[in-house]
Amino acid sequence: MEVISLFIPCTVDLFLPHVGEATVSLLRRTGVRPIYHKEQTCCGQPAINAGYREQAKKAAKHFIRVFGEDEKVVSPSGSCVGMVKHHYPELLAEEPEWRRRAEELSLRIYELSQYLVDIRKIENVGASFEGKVAYHESCHILRSLGVSEQPKRLIKAVKGAELVSLNAADSCCGFGGEFAIHYPDISESMVRDKVEDYLSSGADLLLVSEPGCLFNIGGFLNRNHPGKKVMHLASFLAKNQGR
Amino acid sequence: MKQSARDEILSKLKSAPREAVASRPDRPVLKELSLTRDELIEMFSKNLVQETGVVHRVKDREQALEKLSQIAQEERLKKVMIATDDVVAPLNLVDWGKKNNVEVMTPQDFGNRDSYIDAVFEEADAGITGADFAVAESGTLGLVHRRDRARLVSLSPILHIAVVPVERIVAIYEQAIEKVFREKENLASQFCFVTGPSMTGDIRGVQFKGMHGPRKVVAILVG
Amino acid sequence: MEIKTEQFSEVAKKALESAQSYAFLKLRANFVHKRRETALSTFPDAAAAQTYGAAIRREAIARLPELLEEFEKNALANGARVFWARNAKEANEYIVQLAKERGIEYVTKGKSMVTEELGLNEALEKNGVKAWETDLGEFIIQLLHLPPFHIVGPAINISVEKVRDLFIEKINLKEPTLDPAQLGYAARLFLRDKFHRVRMGITGVNIAVAETGTLINVENEGNIRFSKSSPRTQVSVMSLEKVVPNLEDALHLVRLLCRNCTGQKLSVYVSMDNTPKKDDEMDGPEELIVVIVDNGRSKIYQDKIAREAMRCIRCGACLSSCPVYREIGGYAYGWAYSGPMGQVLNPLLLGLERTQDLYRATTLCGACKGVCPAGIDHPGLFLQYRAKDVLGEKTFRARKRPGMERSFFRLWTWAVTRPWLWNWGVRTVRPFINKEVHEGVLRKVQGPFEGWFRSRDLPAMAEKTFHDRWRETQESQGRTQEAGGAK
Repeated sequence: MEVISLFIPCTVDLFLPHVGEATVSLLRRTGVRPIYHKEQTCCGQPAINAGYREQAKKAAKHFIRVFGEDEKVVSPSGSCVGMVKHHYPELLAEEPEWRRRAEELSLRIYELSQYLVDIRKIENVGASFEGKVAYHESCHILRSLGVSEQPKRLIKAVKGAELVSLNAADSCCGFGGEFAIHYPDISESMVRDKVEDYLSSGADLLLVSEPGCLFNIGGFLNRNHPGKKVMHLASFLAKNQGR
Repeated sequence: MKQSARDEILSKLKSAPREAVASRPDRPVLKELSLTRDELIEMFSKNLVQETGVVHRVKDREQALEKLSQIAQEERLKKVMIATDDVVAPLNLVDWGKKNNVEVMTPQDFGNRDSYIDAVFEEADAGITGADFAVAESGTLGLVHRRDRARLVSLSPILHIAVVPVERIVAIYEQAIEKVFREKENLASQFCFVTGPSMTGDIRGVQFKGMHGPRKVVAILVG
Repeated sequence: MEIKTEQFSEVAKKALESAQSYAFLKLRANFVHKRRETALSTFPDAAAAQTYGAAIRREAIARLPELLEEFEKNALANGARVFWARNAKEANEYIVQLAKERGIEYVTKGKSMVTEELGLNEALEKNGVKAWETDLGEFIIQLLHLPPFHIVGPAINISVEKVRDLFIEKINLKEPTLDPAQLGYAARLFLRDKFHRVRMGITGVNIAVAETGTLINVENEGNIRFSKSSPRTQVSVMSLEKVVPNLEDALHLVRLLCRNCTGQKLSVYVSMDNTPKKDDEMDGPEELIVVIVDNGRSKIYQDKIAREAMRCIRCGACLSSCPVYREIGGYAYGWAYSGPMGQVLNPLLLGLERTQDLYRATTLCGACKGVCPAGIDHPGLFLQYRAKDVLGEKTFRARKRPGMERSFFRLWTWAVTRPWLWNWGVRTVRPFINKEVHEGVLRKVQGPFEGWFRSRDLPAMAEKTFHDRWRETQESQGRTQEAGGAK
């Protein structure tokens, strides 16, 4: 049985643990045995985004130690996977041995939908849902990882679900981590645009693959349009099993 | 002695950490290179017309002059400024002008620069030039500027008429550039690519033709 | 040009509050973005064409001093004059002196961002030389005393009504009209007179070709060609990164520039200057003078990473693709360069201290990097500037980060590398975060997060983290297995 190591980002661990559980359940359904290293903490994205490179390096080294022996690492967050794949080698460029380990790890770490579709070769995970579904293309998963088709294929394979387009699916929702805290007016304007796009798309449900986008769009919906829902793709697929 | 600005700037640049010049990927190939002459003429015309240029195809010198008469009538041309380049000169437009009631001026008619400039700004209803190239890839004229093709003739009047021998059509800009810049010791003062009439979209993105340069461009392809 | 980079938040807020500006920006950016894509699709392989452009610019920057020397050598051999200026003061003084020596009363100017950077117009006017901007957009903002809203369409946000009123007041517009073509015609008539009698034209430079000493300008209106044909003196101002190795490279970049900038295969006029006019030419400049401007670039060049920002070819594609620019428009960026390219350039030219917001007001979405034909990694550069602040790098006039933030990250680093501390930290912080929880949702948290909660909720921090839940599941499975249950 294929064993994969779960990388549960701190956003999911602390605020959205059900997304982590959904990820586990989904992977098990596809015949995978997930393991979870309790020593994992944070990939270091907050530090590198704030310019604290020395600190980010320490987080990176801890991460590499924790996940160093795993054959495959899978995570329900594109931005965190992007951090490991693209920033770790550059961060550790001046320490050849660490850089080698980072480069090597970057070859076996995947975002969830990327893993399911590209590696497990599975699109139909046995879910069904009657209704229209729209997909928001989070910036990092799209541009950093080049993952766009995979989530859509998983959605299209859901029995009864109709994937509808947003006008500007690949337009940033305005989260950007500290950006939403320090520039709340601009961030709010961006998320309002994203929500308007969702509301006028005819979709019953919006799906995202990124915890940050889920906070942002979900937070705005909850306050302003409580009847409209947004879910993480993993939760959607896990929740709507075999009806 | 204090270092000159030039030396100071260059020495700062040279003493910066250098990087190896990465090898480039292959230069992308352009598809226009594989077209036949007729296809090139068609592509040139289509592209120029898309920019609201007007394209006429004529067989020879006589037909070119007939076409010019037609245009002079349509546009009610009274005075034109012409180049004296190797395309326009053989047309003997001074003669043509007499027959068509159009006063034909050349920059050399004026004793001095300022009088010529006055005329090309204030008196010419149209400028008539030849062209060294017609580039199919975007419906573009290539104009070398020199004594017999002054710059303002194709820029200042509101109508620009270009007479273009069909042999001068090329597929891509590089083919024009290669000829113009071949002799490094004898470079023309200026070379221009001209694609249709002048235009702008600076007011709310609403595009219109005829900003500072000509509002209308007519190309007469001969041959 | 006045530097207002420190007013970013205020100016952005005003833009967000203007419904008209907001609507216009959305439509405009979308339209331009789509037109760009259509234009790029005329390449057999658009991605390869963009990549090749990036390779040309990377090489140009890597070989910068040699290329500049080669350019100068060839320009001089062609009969041009070349003046090097360390900074704005030297450049402006030189150009003012040229004008005074020749008894110039006014100059006509082609659109040039570097001359805005230098504040050349102000310097000329202080010395009694009127500088007429002749690009329609630049002309309008000059009359309105406004900064540029967009590097390509500086007046694109100004309403037609405002332009009409402006032209009635300032340039004798007779018929009040809302037709942009008619307004443009009025500007044509007004400026034509200036072109007719101008004795010194000042332009920028889009590309300087090292191999031949050629200057290239790209435009649609014809005002640059006029400024290079009508007067006896042509002054072309280039910032030193504009040089490329040869003509083939220049042509490739011109193809990319026009498609990325205005969605055209080629702009209406591409004029290439080699020499002053020959003796027997009836128009064209008797003097062709090139001013090469440093103004902080040789300093930027010392940093191998920061110098990537010098690859920019000023196409403006990044502005149209930027979700933040689309909300706030160009004024907020506070200087000659706006949008993502301004966000990478202004901090380097003005110092990090006074341009903090420019590289922090971004979600790092990467749309800019994705469209850039010069291969600039804008988000990567923003992170580099933030890192320089943390390190307090003096060359870039960094601003050290607040003490609280530095302490936070010290603690964070401790916790991130010590799982027991991390988990203890989570347990300790939770009751504070969740103080105002209501039905699993936070509407408010004390502290610096107030902005978020103005319009958004947040899920409460889970009572049982994923970590906790996994451990419990493992433990209960272990107990079941011990009790002999099969799983």
